[in-house]
Amino acid sequence: MRKPALQLAAVLSMIAATLSIPVAAQGEPIRVAEFVADCQLSHRLPDDPIVLPNLAGASHSHDFFGNHSTNARSTQQSLEGQTGNCDPAVDISSYWVPTMYRNDTEIAPTGITFYYLGEGVNNPAGIQPTPYGLKIVAGNAKATGDADSIARWSCLHAGHVNPSKNFVECPAGTMLETYLDFPQCWNGRDLDSADHKSHMSYPVAGGCPSSHPVPVPKLRMVLRYPVNGNPAGLRLSSGTGQTMHGDFFNVWPRAEMERRVRNCLNVVMKCDHAGNHG
Amino acid sequence: MRPRRQPRIAALLLAGLTLTACQQAPPPTPPQNGYGATERAFVELSIATDEQALKLVDTPELVENRKTEIAELRKLLDAPYVNNHAGHDMPGMPTDAEIQLAATSPDARKQFVHAHLTEQLEVLRSAGTAITHPPTAEVVKLMEQHRAAELTLTQP
Repeated sequence: MRKPALQLAAVLSMIAATLSIPVAAQGEPIRVAEFVADCQLSHRLPDDPIVLPNLAGASHSHDFFGNHSTNARSTQQSLEGQTGNCDPAVDISSYWVPTMYRNDTEIAPTGITFYYLGEGVNNPAGIQPTPYGLKIVAGNAKATGDADSIARWSCLHAGHVNPSKNFVECPAGTMLETYLDFPQCWNGRDLDSADHKSHMSYPVAGGCPSSHPVPVPKLRMVLRYPVNGNPAGLRLSSGTGQTMHGDFFNVWPRAEMERRVRNCLNVVMKCDHAGNHG
Repeated sequence: MRPRRQPRIAALLLAGLTLTACQQAPPPTPPQNGYGATERAFVELSIATDEQALKLVDTPELVENRKTEIAELRKLLDAPYVNNHAGHDMPGMPTDAEIQLAATSPDARKQFVHAHLTEQLEVLRSAGTAITHPPTAEVVKLMEQHRAAELTLTQP
């Protein structure tokens, strides 16, 4: 009669693995290297300061979070000294994603969280502050299916709905959510590149490759949209759910970024919005 | 002697890495009147828009203008062309769904052609104020002239 218990344990550990829940062993405290910024929708524009710099009105529609001033002409110099809408307020970085539509009506995300994590590399003590002015694009705006997409859609409060690279049908009373992990290995030299991707890389086997040797915080974007039910009418300004992508323009004040990396990520501690841990 | 030197080398490497990470070099200055990021983005976007428009427009003059523009735009490329906007809902770029609908409805085609012309003209006007590279600016001007004439030509 031990079989059911074993099965239950196996199922529980599978669920934990799927949800990336750290399982505490022998009473050890769970240690997570993390600091966070919770932001709001700031504005919506057909602009993209990374992919279509200076070309106002030339892009598909984007939802901008954080820095209130972001537009096609934004530069590091234009963004600094502005205000944003993130908690903590010191994070005046710019973040943006394609606009979501349901039958041609825009849908704004209501939960917008940016986690800065120490996971993904085996040596979090070696993580360096994200360089000031660094631009990162994650996801594939040109995805034509699941094979070339890293998008992830799931349902908040409905873990039984399998995640998918395209929109999923969320039960009534739940919300559609999407996760996007940004590459966290920097080439140590360029704040941007011609294809806006090749100066960054994902880690390989727990370490940054020699071509991109500098580990920086892993940025994970989690967005929650107030929609559920049949996803047939949903689309992004870049196409299907598989084309979900995110852009990040780092203008965290240098000292604030450095303090958080040191206090939270290097020592593997979960910090609050102010960058402190208990 | 080598073992004793290793920590110093390690420290130097670490210092180098830290220095690199902290240098926070300012973004490269856009070349004055050169073919920079804005020009590259405009050329790639315009080729994608024109190629998609060729699937929509049926007036001979519009077809000819698109082909001329694509040829001129391609001359400006400094790297192999990549379509970064396929499948996107870009201003002035007809979507596949619009092209399909236009194939079955002349009214829809007229409407989508008009949207293509007016929206791309907006993009061209924006590009006209942003682009400093003279050969690219010439193509912007050519395309603006084409769109203005085409709007007159296709007036209902």
